[in-house]
Amino acid sequence: MTMPTPTSDSLGASFRDPGGFLFSRGGTLYRQVNRACADDYSRLMESGLYGKLVKAGLLVAHAEADVPPADASLAHKIIQPERVPFISYPYEWSFSQWKDAALATLSIQKRALKAGMSLKDASAYNIQFVRGKPILIDTLSFEIYREGKPWDAYRQFCQHFLAPLALMARVDIRLGQLLRVHIDGIPLDLASRLLPFRTRLDFGLLAHIHLHASAQTRYADADVKRTGASASRRGMSKNAFIGLVGSLEVAVKKLAWKPAGTEWGNYYAITNYSDSAFAHKKEIISGWLKKIAPASVWDLGANNGEFSRLASASGIPTIAWDIDPSAVEQNYLRVKAEKEQNLLPLALDLTNPSPALGWANAERDSLGQRGPAEAVFALALIHHLAISNNVPLPRLADFFAGLCRWLVIEWVPKSDSQVQKLLRSRKDIFDGYTREGFESAFGARFHVREAVDVDQSDRRMYLLERKN
Amino acid sequence: MHFSPPAYLDPGSGSFLIQILIAALLGIGVAVRASWGRIKKLLGKGQADEPTDDDADANQ
Repeated sequence: MTMPTPTSDSLGASFRDPGGFLFSRGGTLYRQVNRACADDYSRLMESGLYGKLVKAGLLVAHAEADVPPADASLAHKIIQPERVPFISYPYEWSFSQWKDAALATLSIQKRALKAGMSLKDASAYNIQFVRGKPILIDTLSFEIYREGKPWDAYRQFCQHFLAPLALMARVDIRLGQLLRVHIDGIPLDLASRLLPFRTRLDFGLLAHIHLHASAQTRYADADVKRTGASASRRGMSKNAFIGLVGSLEVAVKKLAWKPAGTEWGNYYAITNYSDSAFAHKKEIISGWLKKIAPASVWDLGANNGEFSRLASASGIPTIAWDIDPSAVEQNYLRVKAEKEQNLLPLALDLTNPSPALGWANAERDSLGQRGPAEAVFALALIHHLAISNNVPLPRLADFFAGLCRWLVIEWVPKSDSQVQKLLRSRKDIFDGYTREGFESAFGARFHVREAVDVDQSDRRMYLLERKN
Repeated sequence: MHFSPPAYLDPGSGSFLIQILIAALLGIGVAVRASWGRIKKLLGKGQADEPTDDDADANQ
């Protein structure tokens, strides 16, 4: 089969599927549907599956566009999908986000089977969170189902969803980060080795991870076309297919993780903020938000999203980033419970932010490539970066200047008990960590538009605007 | 039976074979539940049909 010829504006991650690819033109994102999957696309649209999935909020909506194709030699149609506000990656998701993405994929597959179609891939990167819920963004993931044919995406589903969820739930929540190394999902032999023996007592994990991994090792050199053909002569009936999908669903649903002893769990109870200082800080931020009316906000070090909600509740698309998986989990569960549409909680270690990954480092974008946000909040954050991670203040100013136009930043002085706590076990080598040092470092990159002392506290809030 | 080679994803030899085995086992369960549903329907008991997934939102 011919692969699409890359065009100057085709997207870096969109090259594997000969069925089509994404390209951008004049700032608009389009998807070319190639003739290779014309039948699949027609079936999706005509069977009513597309309509049902879009109505259920499980598939991105699109319109057919009358624009010249990016590669005319292959083109069947051009579609314009609804723009996804922010692309996040599974290694930035909390446990429940990942689990909901897995269940959304299986729910789509069940509905597809009823319509005589099947998902030809089950990539976690095809799921994005839009208006608080997981949604499939690849319109070309569907193919016409042929009775007898096994699920091509079975291995991918296990690697992208079941293995990471099992490792996070049954070994350690941090193992979700393995997807940053293993971009196509966690190798099942690795998952099988890391999972405790007792997971073999769970039928789903035994079958889909442990036996699956053994079979991969054992039949690594088998000729799949021959063995597959002989196996499928006996057939994988539709009932068997439905049973397989149902079993994966049960396995995913049984996996649970409860955030225990969160890093910031009762953070607001242990800070030296009085209620009135806390209220004053909120009032300052709300006032500035009204003034600058940003189109997007990233709250860095957002904890459970208390301050992020000042932005998202007023309709601003907001991302609440935090390093603590428990805080992100609690934040997501609240987004879900309250059906919040403008807030996306994500996990991020700011001292080592998500890098560009994949083929030619162009499949997954780094944090910076997905910015800038119009406004960034850096509240009660600077001491963690400047003292715990030894980042000099001028470098912090450079970093923030690359991420946003407006910066709402809280200065936390050395006298603050939270800073004293960080210095308790180490020598104070931070002579430059003073208010003057902060103002001079940030003054080199930003204009100070406003600055206010927080009531009953040593802290000071700044509204900064990047210098051009 | 019509069989076409895998699409653009490599399903993997081992994954392909274990899937057929596991699915065959699970398929028996699905078939039994479906027949049991039909028997109950014939006897005029139970629900008229299997619950449909169409309106249940698994996406919660």
